[in-house]
Formats: sequence, structure tokens, C-alpha cells
Amino acid sequence: MAVTGRAVLAGFLAVAAVAISGAVGAWASVVALGVLVVLVAADVLLAASPRALRLAREGDVTLRLGDSATLHLTLANPTRRPLRGWVRDAWPPSADAGPRVPVQVPAGERRRITTTLTPTRRGDARAAGVTVRSIGPMGLAGRQRTLSAEWTVRTLPPFHSRRHLPGKLSRLRELEGQHTAMVRGQGSEFDSLRDYVPGDDVRSIDWRATARGDGVVVRTWRPERDRRILIVLDTGRTSAGRVGDTPRLDHSMDAALLLAALAGKAGDRVDFLAYDRRTRAQVRASGKGSQVSRIVEAMAPLEAELVESDPAGMVSTVLGTQGRARRLVVLLTDLNAAALEEGLLPKLPALTSRHMVMVAAVADPAVGAMAAERASADALYRAAAAERTLSERRRVTAELRRMGVEVVDADPEHIAPALADAYINLKAQGRL
Amino acid sequence: MTPPAPTAPPPVPEAFEPAGGPIARTWRAIRAPLVLFTALAVVAVLLSLGAERFPEGVLEPESVSPDGTRALVRLLEQDGDVDVARSSAEARQAVADAGEDTVLLVSLDHRLLPEELTDLAELDVDTVLVQPSVLALSAFAPGLDVTGRIDTGDALTPECALPAAVAAGEAGVGGELYTAAPDSAAVGCYPSATGDALVQVTGDGSTTTVLGTGHPLTNAALSARGNAALALNLLGADQVVWLRPDPAQVGGGSSMWDLLPAGLRWSVLPLVAALGLLALWRGRRMGALVPEALPVAVRASETTEGHAGLYQSRRARDRAADALRRGFREQTAPKLGLAPDATPEAVVAAVAERTGDDHARLRTLVYGDRSDPFTADDRSLVRLADGLDECSRRLR
Repeated sequence: MAVTGRAVLAGFLAVAAVAISGAVGAWASVVALGVLVVLVAADVLLAASPRALRLAREGDVTLRLGDSATLHLTLANPTRRPLRGWVRDAWPPSADAGPRVPVQVPAGERRRITTTLTPTRRGDARAAGVTVRSIGPMGLAGRQRTLSAEWTVRTLPPFHSRRHLPGKLSRLRELEGQHTAMVRGQGSEFDSLRDYVPGDDVRSIDWRATARGDGVVVRTWRPERDRRILIVLDTGRTSAGRVGDTPRLDHSMDAALLLAALAGKAGDRVDFLAYDRRTRAQVRASGKGSQVSRIVEAMAPLEAELVESDPAGMVSTVLGTQGRARRLVVLLTDLNAAALEEGLLPKLPALTSRHMVMVAAVADPAVGAMAAERASADALYRAAAAERTLSERRRVTAELRRMGVEVVDADPEHIAPALADAYINLKAQGRL
Repeated sequence: MTPPAPTAPPPVPEAFEPAGGPIARTWRAIRAPLVLFTALAVVAVLLSLGAERFPEGVLEPESVSPDGTRALVRLLEQDGDVDVARSSAEARQAVADAGEDTVLLVSLDHRLLPEELTDLAELDVDTVLVQPSVLALSAFAPGLDVTGRIDTGDALTPECALPAAVAAGEAGVGGELYTAAPDSAAVGCYPSATGDALVQVTGDGSTTTVLGTGHPLTNAALSARGNAALALNLLGADQVVWLRPDPAQVGGGSSMWDLLPAGLRWSVLPLVAALGLLALWRGRRMGALVPEALPVAVRASETTEGHAGLYQSRRARDRAADALRRGFREQTAPKLGLAPDATPEAVVAAVAERTGDDHARLRTLVYGDRSDPFTADDRSLVRLADGLDECSRRLR
């Protein structure tokens, strides 16, 4: 049951009518109330039943953060009365689903309403229900019912670092010697023989093959292919802190996606693991081809957990379930001295003895800005605290490098390309 | 990078929907307020069971508050009857019904009409007037005038031949003071500079006693000095008629509500209905609110800010200076081609070579020593930061 502003207006008209009725006030009052009640009740009874409505949804299932998803909701009215009223398609607040819309569905027909979602957060958004308010023919009152129309929209990480992909891919092609600039590939794995072209490095001429044939033949080299990379995302408490306006976790995801896309193009196999005290998400490379879409899909519902990460569990998960082949393990975490020295550093040797390990961390530009503050004595205390943080970060970095770990430490703007560069450098040096 | 395949995501378990049907939910929602309300009601009933309400008011014979006279009335009731009259008619009836030995006490007589006062004055009974109005004074004891006033409750001595006063001795009777006309048969007691606080006029067969204040009769003052004795002496009789008139009632008339036209009066009914509709119109939501789990919003630099706050509140200049110097050294050492673990001498020597500064001064600036001149106060700390900044500028 719901009433409209028109019913309220009718009520106040009744008040006015009774007020000027004079001596017959008692009768007028009873009659006015009776008429009001009868009209409202009739309208409620004559309104099309919202319960009988049939709902059907179609539309987008996934979208990238920042885009909009369009969903269509079809309202079928099987009753013999026209449905007139309002419909609210309810979604969680962060999905930004817009307010209620007016609808008119003639008897026996169907109408479609469109809901546009522009989520402000990554993850799954579930439809909370469709509330239909059906107003009677007089427009005084009506019936209301919340119906269920299940749908889930998954908002994927935005992958802002996609724009770096072409540049990094061309660097990669340079390695392979396929670049249009005809620079000789720097890879270390023998690829094929081809005819000499002026400009080729004379050192790469294969004299044996040249002696067998007519022309001069050179060897080409290519970087190693089919190496395995495991991207480990730390979803513990240190990933919850916001750098700028975005959690560190999301910056790490961005970097991980660029690396995964790049490595996929380079012919390497990329696995993905999200871990804090237990495995939050896991993607294993299956066959050839890019794993990026599967990794994106796995990342979407991940949120930072407010628990201390368990590096021992993480190391044993990496060692235990992922086969025995040597691989590049990229750990995306924070260079937090306390957390790392207590947890990860003692466990690292087990990892570095079998795998190549790279640690990537998002630095906070706010700390750098604090370290440069000089305005007053109070600002100096802030600068000192920031210097202390930076100093600890440097200490942990040095410690990690001493253990043979590659460290990538960059602010949110540069972490993705820096990680990609580090990967390309490793590939160029043949260290994978 | 290929766009992800539009597969339906796995179902997410219900996170916010409370278990149970609508009745269970409603019950859960109202049970806490219900229990609270019941508890309050029980407490209120229990408290009201033990309470007895006493009327309040000045010289009110039933009142237990400091300005009431319940204590005196109880004392009088041990020897005789006390009849509390609330109007002059009641008082006259009580006096008529009483026997020979009767005392009429008149308090708050400004609430009585002049003719009522005259009627009362004509009664043939011993009368005690407590702080009478001028009208009452002229009706009961013509020839007596109010001639002064001292602080209420001031102690005075009798200094007269009136047995009741002599027996009571000193009493807190200060209040209005009276002076009798020279030719009247009045006995004045408790004299002060401008008159007597208690005057007894003997008429034909009955006496009229005028007391300048009701203070000695009250619960608060009864136990002080000779107050109780004086009161009992004045009022000692088989029957005491205690007149404390109620305020006169304002005559009936019709209320505002009755004066309204019938139509307006009856329009309240539809008004209630219209307001109900208004509340329903504005208050009815389109479906329930949708809950959502929000992520924590904490800056990554939170711990650093916390450190800064601690340094600042404790004025930890030594630690701040140490952190600033360490930061300078760690940034400078690689530029100078030094290992991170280079000795202080080596660092100072390398810096001095590039900047041409004095060794000792640099050593103090970059490492400090036992009596560090840069941690004495905040200004020194600023000088340290300036020195380090200047140094790194010249090394660039």
C-alpha cells in the first residue's frame, strides 16, 4: 500500500470542506472521512497487481571500472489492468544505479526499462530487488511490492597501465630482432638462419652455413620462450593502505596486469596467486595464449584483508603446488620493514634457491613530499619521520638485493612500466 | 589483450540478508525497545507504590516541606482535635460545631473576601491571626496598626505579662510589628524598636491574638528556641479550627475549544487523516535500503604521520636530527661513490673534498657528537636541516 501526493491533497481538501461546513460539521466530517477511505481503498483495489508482474533481465555481465554497464529489465504485465506507476531497480550504492523511473505497461503487454550502472568500486554488485509501485486509476493510492530479478555485474580492475603496453611490446620485439629498425635481437637462444642483409652484425654470420650455400647466411637469436612466471599478489593488511585515493592493492593489480599481458605476448606462461593467510585467488596457465582475461576475472572480487600476511604459508604454497620447474616469482607487496623483516626475509632463501624472485612495491609519493617539508620546526618533525620511513625502505631494499632478489620500488604512476622494464631486462640478460 | 569473456560470475553468498521471515525480523527489531519499555514501566510502578503525595504550600497543615506545619498539627492532635477548614464557610461551621474550648487560627486571609472576614470576626471564639492583611486586622482587631517590620524569624524576648509568651520565652517571631491604640485593652509582646511582634486583644469573652509571622509554626522552625512552646500555648485547646483558605476559583465560562465553530472542531478528524496520508506519502520507501560492505579507507602514510605526531608532541629533536642526517648520508653516499657502510671519516673526507668545508664542522653537521649543538631547540633543528640542504645542493 502506498499513497500519492494527490491523496494528501484530497485529504486537506476534505479538511477545508469540513471546516466551512458550519453546524453540520459532525456529518460533514464523517462523510468526508468515508469518501476519502472509499476512494483510497478503491484505488488500491483497482491498481494492477505488482505481484503478477513478470520480470526478465538482460545486459552486461562484466565491465571495467570507470565504464558503464547497461542492463535491460523487461516488465511483462499479464493482468487485464494497465500498470501505471514507478519502478526502482535497486543496486548497492557504489553501483550508482539511478533513482526510480515512471512506467506504464498496458494490460497484456511488455515494456523495457534501462538501468545504467556506473560502479565506483571494483568487485561484484548484486541486484537487490525491483520495487514496483502500481498506482490505481484515480492516482490516489496503489500497491507496492519488491520483486526479485537476480543479476550480478562484475566490475573488473581498470587496467590503466594498458597504455604502456604498445611501448613495452616494441621493446620486446627489439629483443627478438623483429623490430622494423632491423636491430639484431639480443636474445640468447638460437632461432634460425637467414640470408645476410646489409646492416647485419658481421659477428652473427654463420660461416659453416655460408660455406654450404651460395650467399652469406647469418644466425638470428631470440629470447627464451615458454618460461614460467608466477605473479603473487599480497592481499594482507599492507595492501589496504591508500596511495593517493586508491588502495595499494589496486596499483599492484595494475602493474600485475601489464606484466601478465606483456609476458603473454612474449610467449611466457603466466600463473597468478593472491595470498594473505590463505589463497584468495589462483589462476594456472593452461596451454598457450594470454591468461590476462582469466587473471582480470580472478582479481575483480579481491579486497584487501585486514590481517597480517603469512609469508611462510605463501612460500610453501608457491613451492608446493606450482611444479618444480624454475620460474620467475614476482611478489607484489609493500616494502614495510617491520612486516618484511619479521616475516618474509627469513623465508626467502627457500624461494631464491629454486626460483628467480622479484619484489615489486608501490611507493607512497606523500611520504616523499613529507620528507621535503621545511616550512617550520613542526614540518621538520614530519620530514624526519618521512626520512625514517624512507631509510627503512632503503634498508629492506638493500637486504633483499643482498639475497639475490630483484626489487622494483616506484610510485603508483610508474610502478607498472617499471615492473615491465625489469621483466624485459631480465629477459634480455637471459636470466629467466 | 582480449576483452574478457562475458561469463556469468559465480553466485555470491547472501551476506546481509538476516535469517528468518518478516515476522522474525520484526520481532528482532522491536524486542529490545519492548524490553526496555517494560523495564521502565515496572520500575515506575514500583517507585510509585512506596510514595505518598503530600500537599505543598506555606502553612499548609498537611505539608511536610520546611514551610508546612504538619509537625505542629500532629503535636496539637495529641491533646485535642485539629479541624482543617479550607473556606470561611467551613471554618464557621466547624466553630459552630465545636465546644467551648476552641481556637480559630486564620492564615493566608488575603484569600478571603472582606465580608467573609467580617463574618469570621463576629464569631465568639478565641482567634489567632497569622500575619493578617490590613483588612483582616481592621475586622478582627480594630485599633491595631502595622507599624514596622523586621527580618522574618528574628529572635525576640517576650517582655510582657502574657502567660503564653512568658512561658515560651525567647522565640523567632520576627516579622510584621504592630502597635495598639493607646486606649485599647491590648497586650503587646516581643517588642522591637517599632512595635510588638505579638499582640493580644481581649474583647468581650474572647481574645484575638495577632502574630506578625507564621515562621515559628513551620516544620523548619518549630524546634528552634521557644517556637513550639509559644505555638502550643497559643493554640492549646480541645478543638483547633485551622483555616487556610484555598484560592478563589475563577468562575466557569466556556473554554477556547467550546467557542470554536462546530465545523472547525470537526475538521480535526479529517486533519488527522490528512496528516496520516502525508506521513505515508513522504515516509513510504521504494523498497528496502541496500546494504554494502565498504572497504577501509586508511592512508598508506598513516604510520609515518603517526611517527611525525609523536616526534612533534615529545619534541624528539635527537631522533629527528638522527633521521634527517641518516637520510642525507644515505642519499649522499652513492653520489660520492661510497659504500653504504663507509666510515664517518671517509664520508666526511669525501664531502669536504667536494664542498671545501671544514672537517670538524662537517662532522658535527653530518654525524653530530656528544654535545650536539643542533638539538638544543627547534631553531637549531631548522639550522641543521638548512645546513644539510645546503650541503646536498653543493654536492649536486
